[in-house]
Amino acid sequence: MELKVLYFGMIAEITNRNEELLLVIQDCDIFQLESLLKEKYESLKNVSFKIAVDQKISNTSIRLKPTNEIALLPPFSGG
Amino acid sequence: MTKKKKTVFIQGAISPSFIANSIEKHQSKTAIGAHNIFLGQVRADIIDGKTVQGITYSAYTEMAESTFHEIREATFDKFELTCMHIYHSIGTVKTGEICLFVFVSAPHRKVTFEALEFVVEQVKKEVPVFGKEVFEDQTHQWKVNS
Repeated sequence: MELKVLYFGMIAEITNRNEELLLVIQDCDIFQLESLLKEKYESLKNVSFKIAVDQKISNTSIRLKPTNEIALLPPFSGG
Repeated sequence: MTKKKKTVFIQGAISPSFIANSIEKHQSKTAIGAHNIFLGQVRADIIDGKTVQGITYSAYTEMAESTFHEIREATFDKFELTCMHIYHSIGTVKTGEICLFVFVSAPHRKVTFEALEFVVEQVKKEVPVFGKEVFEDQTHQWKVNS
Protein backbone atom coordinates (compact mmCIF):
# COMPACT_ATOMS: atom_id res chain seq x y z
CA MET A 1 0.00 0.00 0.00
CA GLU A 2 0.99 3.64 -0.34
CA LEU A 3 1.33 6.07 2.55
CA LYS A 4 1.50 9.84 2.33
CA VAL A 5 4.30 11.12 4.54
CA LEU A 6 4.90 14.80 5.35
CA TYR A 7 8.28 16.22 6.41
CA PHE A 8 8.94 19.36 8.43
CA GLY A 9 11.83 21.56 9.53
CA MET A 10 15.22 19.86 9.63
CA ILE A 11 13.59 16.57 8.54
CA ALA A 12 12.45 18.15 5.26
CA GLU A 13 16.02 19.32 4.80
CA ILE A 14 17.31 15.75 5.19
CA THR A 15 14.72 14.22 2.86
CA ASN A 16 14.97 17.19 0.49
CA ARG A 17 11.20 17.26 0.04
CA ASN A 18 8.09 18.29 1.97
CA GLU A 19 6.10 15.16 1.28
CA GLU A 20 6.11 11.91 -0.62
CA LEU A 21 4.17 8.73 -1.24
CA LEU A 22 5.94 5.70 0.20
CA LEU A 23 5.30 2.15 -0.87
CA VAL A 24 5.03 0.00 2.26
CA ILE A 25 3.82 -3.49 3.15
CA GLN A 26 0.15 -4.02 3.97
CA ASP A 27 -0.60 -3.38 7.68
CA CYS A 28 2.72 -1.60 8.09
CA ASP A 29 3.04 -0.22 11.61
CA ILE A 30 4.82 2.90 12.84
CA PHE A 31 8.00 1.05 13.87
CA GLN A 32 8.27 -0.58 10.45
CA LEU A 33 7.73 2.75 8.75
CA GLU A 34 10.39 4.34 10.93
CA SER A 35 13.01 1.72 10.06
CA LEU A 36 12.13 1.98 6.39
CA LEU A 37 12.61 5.75 6.53
CA LYS A 38 15.93 5.43 8.37
CA GLU A 39 17.11 3.04 5.69
CA LYS A 40 16.07 5.41 2.93
CA TYR A 41 17.45 8.53 4.65
CA GLU A 42 20.46 7.53 6.75
CA SER A 43 20.79 10.96 8.39
CA LEU A 44 17.45 10.39 10.13
CA LYS A 45 19.34 8.05 12.46
CA ASN A 46 21.15 11.05 13.94
CA VAL A 47 18.19 13.32 14.60
CA SER A 48 15.32 13.21 17.00
CA PHE A 49 11.76 13.22 15.63
CA LYS A 50 8.23 12.18 16.46
CA ILE A 51 5.68 10.65 14.17
CA ALA A 52 2.18 12.07 13.99
CA VAL A 53 -0.68 10.03 12.55
CA ASP A 54 -3.64 12.17 11.49
CA GLN A 55 -2.13 15.07 13.46
CA LYS A 56 -1.75 13.13 16.71
CA ILE A 57 1.63 12.09 18.00
CA SER A 58 1.67 8.37 18.47
CA ASN A 59 3.88 6.62 21.01
CA THR A 60 2.52 3.16 20.46
CA SER A 61 2.97 1.32 17.23
CA ILE A 62 -0.40 1.36 15.56
CA ARG A 63 -1.07 -0.21 12.18
CA LEU A 64 -1.24 2.32 9.41
CA LYS A 65 -3.84 2.71 6.70
CA PRO A 66 -3.47 4.38 3.29
CA THR A 67 -5.93 7.06 4.44
CA ASN A 68 -3.70 8.12 7.35
CA GLU A 69 -1.71 11.32 7.08
CA ILE A 70 1.74 10.64 8.49
CA ALA A 71 4.09 13.45 9.52
CA LEU A 72 7.68 13.39 10.75
CA LEU A 73 8.13 16.16 13.29
CA PRO A 74 11.51 17.36 14.55
CA PRO A 75 11.72 19.03 18.00
CA PHE A 76 9.28 21.94 18.29
CA SER A 77 10.75 25.41 18.49
CA GLY A 78 7.93 27.91 18.38
CA GLY A 79 7.70 31.10 20.38
CA MET B 1 -20.22 21.96 11.30
CA THR B 2 -17.17 22.36 13.47
CA LYS B 3 -16.51 25.54 15.39
CA LYS B 4 -14.35 27.91 13.40
CA LYS B 5 -10.80 27.98 14.67
CA LYS B 6 -9.26 31.36 15.30
CA THR B 7 -6.42 32.49 13.10
CA VAL B 8 -3.19 32.34 15.01
CA PHE B 9 -0.48 32.65 12.38
CA ILE B 10 0.66 36.04 11.18
CA GLN B 11 3.00 36.39 8.22
CA GLY B 12 6.29 37.89 9.42
CA ALA B 13 6.77 39.92 12.60
CA ILE B 14 3.92 40.95 14.88
CA SER B 15 3.98 44.74 14.82
CA PRO B 16 3.71 46.96 17.92
CA SER B 17 0.72 48.69 16.30
CA PHE B 18 -1.08 45.33 15.95
CA ILE B 19 -0.54 44.79 19.68
CA ALA B 20 -1.71 48.33 20.53
CA ASN B 21 -4.79 47.83 18.38
CA SER B 22 -5.54 44.58 20.16
CA ILE B 23 -5.38 46.33 23.55
CA GLU B 24 -7.65 49.10 22.28
CA LYS B 25 -10.28 46.58 21.14
CA HIS B 26 -10.70 45.46 24.75
CA GLN B 27 -11.64 48.89 26.09
CA SER B 28 -15.32 48.16 25.42
CA LYS B 29 -15.14 44.99 27.54
CA THR B 30 -15.61 46.66 30.90
CA ALA B 31 -15.95 43.45 32.96
CA ILE B 32 -12.19 43.11 32.52
CA GLY B 33 -10.02 44.47 35.30
CA ALA B 34 -6.66 42.95 34.37
CA HIS B 35 -4.78 42.19 31.16
CA ASN B 36 -1.53 40.29 30.95
CA ILE B 37 0.65 40.12 27.88
CA PHE B 38 3.60 37.98 26.85
CA LEU B 39 5.72 39.05 23.90
CA GLY B 40 8.35 36.72 22.49
CA GLN B 41 11.17 38.59 20.76
CA VAL B 42 13.80 37.12 18.43
CA ARG B 43 17.14 37.18 20.23
CA ALA B 44 20.48 37.79 18.50
CA ASP B 45 22.19 34.69 19.90
CA ILE B 46 25.85 34.27 19.08
CA ILE B 47 26.65 30.65 18.18
CA ASP B 48 30.23 29.68 17.30
CA GLY B 49 31.05 33.32 16.64
CA LYS B 50 28.10 33.85 14.30
CA THR B 51 25.21 36.15 15.16
CA VAL B 52 21.58 35.20 14.56
CA GLN B 53 19.98 37.65 12.14
CA GLY B 54 16.45 36.28 12.26
CA ILE B 55 14.31 33.19 12.62
CA THR B 56 12.30 31.65 9.81
CA TYR B 57 9.28 29.81 11.19
CA SER B 58 7.47 27.01 9.45
CA ALA B 59 4.71 24.82 10.84
CA TYR B 60 2.57 21.77 10.34
CA THR B 61 -0.24 24.28 9.95
CA GLU B 62 -3.34 22.08 10.35
CA MET B 63 -1.98 20.30 13.42
CA ALA B 64 -0.66 23.58 14.88
CA GLU B 65 -4.05 25.26 14.51
CA SER B 66 -5.79 22.31 16.19
CA THR B 67 -3.21 22.37 18.97
CA PHE B 68 -3.67 26.13 19.52
CA HIS B 69 -7.40 25.47 19.71
CA GLU B 70 -6.88 22.70 22.31
CA ILE B 71 -4.62 25.00 24.35
CA ARG B 72 -7.33 27.69 24.30
CA GLU B 73 -9.97 25.21 25.46
CA ALA B 74 -7.72 23.83 28.21
CA THR B 75 -6.87 27.34 29.39
CA PHE B 76 -10.51 28.40 29.60
CA ASP B 77 -11.30 25.18 31.51
CA LYS B 78 -8.49 25.77 33.97
CA PHE B 79 -8.67 29.52 34.54
CA GLU B 80 -11.48 32.06 34.92
CA LEU B 81 -10.59 34.26 31.98
CA THR B 82 -12.75 36.74 30.12
CA CYS B 83 -10.79 36.30 26.91
CA MET B 84 -7.49 35.23 25.44
CA HIS B 85 -5.62 35.65 22.18
CA ILE B 86 -2.59 33.89 20.74
CA TYR B 87 -0.67 35.10 17.70
CA HIS B 88 2.45 33.44 16.33
CA SER B 89 4.61 34.47 13.40
CA ILE B 90 5.14 32.33 10.34
CA GLY B 91 7.92 33.12 7.87
CA THR B 92 10.88 35.32 8.70
CA VAL B 93 11.18 37.51 11.80
CA LYS B 94 14.30 39.62 12.29
CA THR B 95 16.11 39.91 15.61
CA GLY B 96 14.43 42.44 17.89
CA GLU B 97 11.03 41.83 16.34
CA ILE B 98 8.08 40.09 18.00
CA CYS B 99 7.25 36.49 17.05
CA LEU B 100 4.74 35.50 19.75
CA PHE B 101 1.94 37.53 21.31
CA VAL B 102 -0.20 36.03 24.07
CA PHE B 103 -2.90 38.20 25.62
CA VAL B 104 -5.10 37.09 28.53
CA SER B 105 -7.78 39.12 30.30
CA ALA B 106 -9.85 38.56 33.45
CA PRO B 107 -11.84 40.53 36.03
CA HIS B 108 -8.94 40.29 38.52
CA ARG B 109 -5.16 40.11 38.10
CA LYS B 110 -4.05 36.94 39.88
CA VAL B 111 -5.40 34.40 37.42
CA THR B 112 -3.90 36.28 34.47
CA PHE B 113 -0.32 35.62 35.66
CA GLU B 114 -0.96 31.89 36.02
CA ALA B 115 -2.91 31.56 32.80
CA LEU B 116 -0.32 33.49 30.81
CA GLU B 117 2.53 31.25 31.94
CA PHE B 118 0.43 28.16 31.24
CA VAL B 119 -0.37 29.27 27.69
CA VAL B 120 3.20 30.26 26.81
CA GLU B 121 4.64 26.99 28.13
CA GLN B 122 2.00 24.94 26.29
CA VAL B 123 2.69 26.79 23.04
CA LYS B 124 6.42 26.15 23.31
CA LYS B 125 5.95 22.49 24.18
CA GLU B 126 2.96 21.29 22.17
CA VAL B 127 2.68 23.24 18.92
CA PRO B 128 4.46 21.89 15.82
CA VAL B 129 6.26 25.08 14.83
CA PHE B 130 9.87 24.91 13.65
CA GLY B 131 12.28 27.81 13.91
CA LYS B 132 15.34 28.08 11.71
CA GLU B 133 17.93 30.49 13.09
CA VAL B 134 19.53 32.28 10.15
CA PHE B 135 22.97 33.83 10.63
CA GLU B 136 24.44 36.93 8.99
CA ASP B 137 26.32 34.77 6.46
CA GLN B 138 23.00 33.09 5.50
CA THR B 139 23.98 29.75 7.06
CA HIS B 140 21.45 28.39 9.53
CA GLN B 141 20.73 26.01 12.36
CA TRP B 142 17.47 24.57 13.63
CA LYS B 143 16.34 25.91 16.97
CA VAL B 144 15.23 23.54 19.73
CA ASN B 145 13.10 24.77 22.64
CA SER B 146 14.67 24.21 26.05
